[in-house]
Amino acid sequence: MKLRKGPATALIVVAILVAAYTLFPFFLVVINSMKKANDIVANPVSLAGASFAQLSQNIQNVVTNSNFNFWAAFGTSAIVTIISLILLALFGGMAAWVICRNKTKWSTVIYMTFIASMIIPFQVVMLALISTFRDVGNFIGIKMLQSIPGIVFAYLGFGGAMTVFILTGFIKGIPYELEEAAAIDGCSPEGTFFRIIFPLLKPVITTVTILNGMWIWNDYLLPSLMLGQNGPVKTLPVAVQAFVGSYVKRWDLILPAALLAILPMIILFIIAQKQIINGMVEGAIK
Amino acid sequence: MASISFRDVTKQYEGAKTPVVPNLNLEIKDKEFIILVGPSGCGKSTTLRMIAGLETITSGDLYIGDKRVNDIPPKDRDIAMVFQNYALYPHMTVYKNIAFGLTLRKMDPAEIDRRVHEAAKILDLEHLLERKPKALSGGQRQRVALGRAMVRNPAVFLLDEPLSNLDAKLRTSMRSEIARLHRRLDTTFVYVTHDQTEAMTMGDRIVVMKDGLIQQYDTPQVLYDSPDNLFVAGFIGSPQMNFIDALIVEKDGKLYAEVRGHKTDLLLIPESKAAALKPYVGKTVIMGVRPEHFMPVANLTEDNALHVKVDFKELLGAEYNLYVYIGEEKVIVKMPSHEPLPEDEEIAIPVNLRLMHFFDKETEKAICH
Repeated sequence: MKLRKGPATALIVVAILVAAYTLFPFFLVVINSMKKANDIVANPVSLAGASFAQLSQNIQNVVTNSNFNFWAAFGTSAIVTIISLILLALFGGMAAWVICRNKTKWSTVIYMTFIASMIIPFQVVMLALISTFRDVGNFIGIKMLQSIPGIVFAYLGFGGAMTVFILTGFIKGIPYELEEAAAIDGCSPEGTFFRIIFPLLKPVITTVTILNGMWIWNDYLLPSLMLGQNGPVKTLPVAVQAFVGSYVKRWDLILPAALLAILPMIILFIIAQKQIINGMVEGAIK
Repeated sequence: MASISFRDVTKQYEGAKTPVVPNLNLEIKDKEFIILVGPSGCGKSTTLRMIAGLETITSGDLYIGDKRVNDIPPKDRDIAMVFQNYALYPHMTVYKNIAFGLTLRKMDPAEIDRRVHEAAKILDLEHLLERKPKALSGGQRQRVALGRAMVRNPAVFLLDEPLSNLDAKLRTSMRSEIARLHRRLDTTFVYVTHDQTEAMTMGDRIVVMKDGLIQQYDTPQVLYDSPDNLFVAGFIGSPQMNFIDALIVEKDGKLYAEVRGHKTDLLLIPESKAAALKPYVGKTVIMGVRPEHFMPVANLTEDNALHVKVDFKELLGAEYNLYVYIGEEKVIVKMPSHEPLPEDEEIAIPVNLRLMHFFDKETEKAICH
């Protein structure tokens, strides 16, 4: 489809405006990361005082700050995100496959439960969640609060619904004969999943993983409740909170820390961009 | 290498009121090429899938060779199957698709390689081994599916409408390719189709099914020459056999089939059929005449003329189909192109009396051929 020149130009202008609007907060983070605290407070929008030397100074201050402990938080964030994503893809794929292929009353009920849980806002359940996690932790003897296994478990629950929803839709489009052919070729049910179904899910799993990954990496509310401000483990978004005092806000540390926190996601997005779009398109037309 | 034997096999789906396949008894000999044919929903695919182990058997016994296989999973039945939509694994190359079953059986890689290349050579796939199924044409995919089944050296080869996704020209060439493959592999083939041309051209014997019941099980020639009932008569042959109501009458010690169209014709029943039709004197039976069993007008006599009203003519090249009416009954007549019929609206066409079939109107069973 080719647009005439007039509408095409208008579209480009609109696109630029939307992009500018979306990128403006990011732009603020970047320029203010390059300034001293005084300059930020004086005029956050101006470029006055911004320099790369200051940026590297600020980053150094963040990384070496003893309250913040950047590398530990970065490590925690990475571990929580990676483990959650792997388990979500694996268990989500398994659950979606069974729901799709075992057409019983119960599988429909379970599927509907997954869907229903997507409608409930996190804020509604969050307080009850903490006390429940504490009780469950006490009961099974594994610490669920202020611990990595606990928060990974929570992410499996909150991310599971959307993952299963998207994967189920995709699996429906995979011809059942492939699984029958695999059964005749000698695959066990587990073999069929890992050798046939899971590899075929690659494009849609990439998409789901990116969506879940951005959410888990950037999430603030859940880790702040489950890990706490003073707990032994902190993810990056929670750790940045260390620079927010009751009386003083260290913008020259908060903003470079935020910049460091979002950087991996941006890099990942740029690398995997093509995959993400392919995954979304394939899901849409197949 | 194995025979297949169904003994009182019934398949009923959960929640269904009637079985799809009720009480099936069928013996397939070792190395035979058997075709299961019938209209959609007749239970032919279910029967094939029971052999494959993809459908459970509600009751009865199924034997492959002398082993009862009711409870044996597909992978241990020593069978291979080709699916209608090929069911190639999209994420694997042609080579891996063909080798997959062998890899799972932990076969020696050198032997796998040898077998894959051998199959690829037979099926002309050697230059495509590194491609993914997505990059292949329909016919090539079909050959990969055949290759995947071939390398396993199965005792039984199952094919579920393998040609129905191909275009007409490719279908014809694949038909002979599969028949050749059967001769080469020398193993039992069970082939499901709803296309009677495929059935007639490929099979050693054909199982004609309807509503889960076997209507007739015999060689293509016997099915064509002596169909057991109206259904088989109508199903085998293209265009299909014409069915005309006829009253059996006796005159001067001879039997005649009286056909009342817009004129009343008396067709002499040959001696060979007279005995069987004797009890039907005074009764109406169904007379079956294949379109190709009408004769050029030169053969017209008093005893073999059918008066018809011509509707229209369909030229096919070497021959043409003439669509005519006998009374209200629509009848197709096939004639060679070089035998022009009078262009009148009403004509008399001779019938080859020796090749007429007669069916009982109530039971629909054949009386004589």
